[in-house]
Amino acid sequence: MITRRHWMVLALLTGLLFLSMLTTVNIGSTNVPFDTILKDPTASLIVFELRLPRVIAATLVGFGLAVAGTAMQGLFKNPMADPYIIGTSSGGALAAVFALVFLGGRGQTLLAFIGATLATFLVYTIARQRGRAPVETLLLSGIAVSLLLSAVLTLIMWTAGRSVHQIFAWLWGGFPLASWGDVGIASLILIGCGIIFVYARDLNVLALGEEEATHLGVNVERFKQVLLFVSSFITAVAVSISGIIGFIGLITPHVMRLIVGPDHRILIPASMLAGGMILLWSDTLVRTFTSEMPVGVLTAFLGAPFFVYLLRTRMKT
Amino acid sequence: MIDVDSIDVSYDGTKKILEQLSFSVERGAFIGIIGPNGSGKTTLLKTISRILSPMGGVVRIEGKELAAITSRELARTIGVVPQETAINFDFSVMDVVLMGRHPYIDRLSSESKEDINIARRAMAMTGTEQFRDRSVNEISGGERQRVIIARALAQEPKVLLLDEPTSHLDINHQIEILNIFRNLEGNVTIIGVFHDLNLAAHYCDTLILLDEGMIQAIGSPSEVLTREHLKRIFNINALIRTSPLTRKPYIIPIIEEEATLRGTLRIHLICGGGTGSDLMYELRQKGYALSTGVLGINDSDYETAKELGIPCIREPPFGAIGPGSLQELEAVLRGVEAIIVTDMPVGKGNLDNIRILERFRDTPIFLFGRGEAEEIKPIRDFTGGEAERLLAILREHGAKPVASRRDLLSKLQDLERHARPSGPA
Repeated sequence: MITRRHWMVLALLTGLLFLSMLTTVNIGSTNVPFDTILKDPTASLIVFELRLPRVIAATLVGFGLAVAGTAMQGLFKNPMADPYIIGTSSGGALAAVFALVFLGGRGQTLLAFIGATLATFLVYTIARQRGRAPVETLLLSGIAVSLLLSAVLTLIMWTAGRSVHQIFAWLWGGFPLASWGDVGIASLILIGCGIIFVYARDLNVLALGEEEATHLGVNVERFKQVLLFVSSFITAVAVSISGIIGFIGLITPHVMRLIVGPDHRILIPASMLAGGMILLWSDTLVRTFTSEMPVGVLTAFLGAPFFVYLLRTRMKT
Repeated sequence: MIDVDSIDVSYDGTKKILEQLSFSVERGAFIGIIGPNGSGKTTLLKTISRILSPMGGVVRIEGKELAAITSRELARTIGVVPQETAINFDFSVMDVVLMGRHPYIDRLSSESKEDINIARRAMAMTGTEQFRDRSVNEISGGERQRVIIARALAQEPKVLLLDEPTSHLDINHQIEILNIFRNLEGNVTIIGVFHDLNLAAHYCDTLILLDEGMIQAIGSPSEVLTREHLKRIFNINALIRTSPLTRKPYIIPIIEEEATLRGTLRIHLICGGGTGSDLMYELRQKGYALSTGVLGINDSDYETAKELGIPCIREPPFGAIGPGSLQELEAVLRGVEAIIVTDMPVGKGNLDNIRILERFRDTPIFLFGRGEAEEIKPIRDFTGGEAERLLAILREHGAKPVASRRDLLSKLQDLERHARPSGPA
């Protein structure tokens, strides 16, 4: 049941997110006094053309990664799962790198989306037997396809020679060149999040098991297809904007589940808001204190120890 | 209510798990499906719940073909209680029970007051209200199963399918849970797969015995649970008694052990009132050639003898032993190498069983009683001293009291060795 506490957490998260966006717009390597933003054209340029789209893009990508992670964990009934594990991001990354190396970066977003979706459905098709894709085989075929795609990616990087540094920086993720155009693409993530939210109660029922969910009136196979497609769509959009940013999709739902409980009707919006906030602050840190270190490095440094901690505490119980 | 019409079900399209299976179920009935492992019980249940679809044939619910019903409508008609449910996230008990309302709630709506009331009622019926706010993963297996049942009841189903719903639970929880189903008000039709034949017999109106994907028997528990069916389908020998409390059949499997020694003596057992059944079982197990009688045909020892296939001289109930039976007994006693008298009740009706033994002073007689060696009370005398007197005479002439089955067996072995000095020592 949804309680008043749930609404309070959501209200608090929304408030914090707006506060964070306002604050981070004013943080950066160049100090822009608040009162000069509208008067000084340089200040105005920095805030409206550089920082604001970057802040919004980072928030939206954070939304998407967290919601896709929440959906995958619910779908696989495994709190250690996320879109990266079933090969979605590897597919997106491979296609984007292909565009970077062979097409000079043209059509990168579109190709990333096609790659991500193809990888997801390849995994789904491999796992499918007689109209069903059991979670165990889905996870295993995801790992197999991911390994293969990573090998192909490495092969491309190895043959590419000169642009390796560029590919590498892109792969590790970040928002150094985020523009309003990227924000436009990133806003597609909101549509994906909305669709996943509509299925929140089905995700709850799925926690009882696939057959149980069927007995409660969920069309499980169609539901899984929709969720996989939407999650790979969200992931592809995120990958094409910022490359691979790990651990947001894994850690955020985890932490939020501890705070608001497992009900996806609350967990999805809560994870979304928290994921946006985490990525926004991570990106602000790297752009302020480093010379554009890929933000994926920071999230991995923060996320991996936390993941290990979670793993250890889960093993104890 | 439910019509299963010549269905063929297969997992791989070639090997049929169920073949040409048909039966129908009345509204409000409690049906038990029994059968050995791999007989197709769970497959049948999964076909009715539409997890599997038949290759041929149809299942109809209230005249409507199963395949034509929408997922949500089906979920409002059929509730399923599985053997065990693993719930991956820490949902509260209340949340899980409310999931039973899923097929009634529109996509973007929340639970209404009515949904919450229905969930509360389901929790009251299953005795789960007291842990409504606890995580389903914190409570015991029996409690969790009751929560899952509450969830199924919250679906307000017309049909409940149970897949061995109690097989992972202790006996007290098994009964607790099966009582919930039996006490369901209204016209809920229940079809359950059962492992425990006695529980199935106790709770179900009708049993369906499955084997190799086909119905081997269908009917009331006493029609289905017969010695012949148990032997043929489960390959067990069993005593089938009628429970004195419910008049339903009660099965006692005869556990056949590998005999450690093969007895060769011919033994006659004089018993009655249930005092000889355990000896019959044990002596037969040890390989002795047994006979018994004279027994009244309503005596439980008579039933045991009949079910174990031990020759028995019998009389109609409540009568004295007639001259024909007595002659027969004498002839039998002449051919045996040992006679055992149990601690049976002796009255006027069966006194002749004891009296006749006077003529067999040369045959070893054992007076079997249960108690301390010094004060064995071999029989219970209801003849006003006559039986005791006859027994005292027998003891005079060498009848040996034995206090336990172990004692009896060792005395019989001694006797055997004595009778055949050249045999194995």
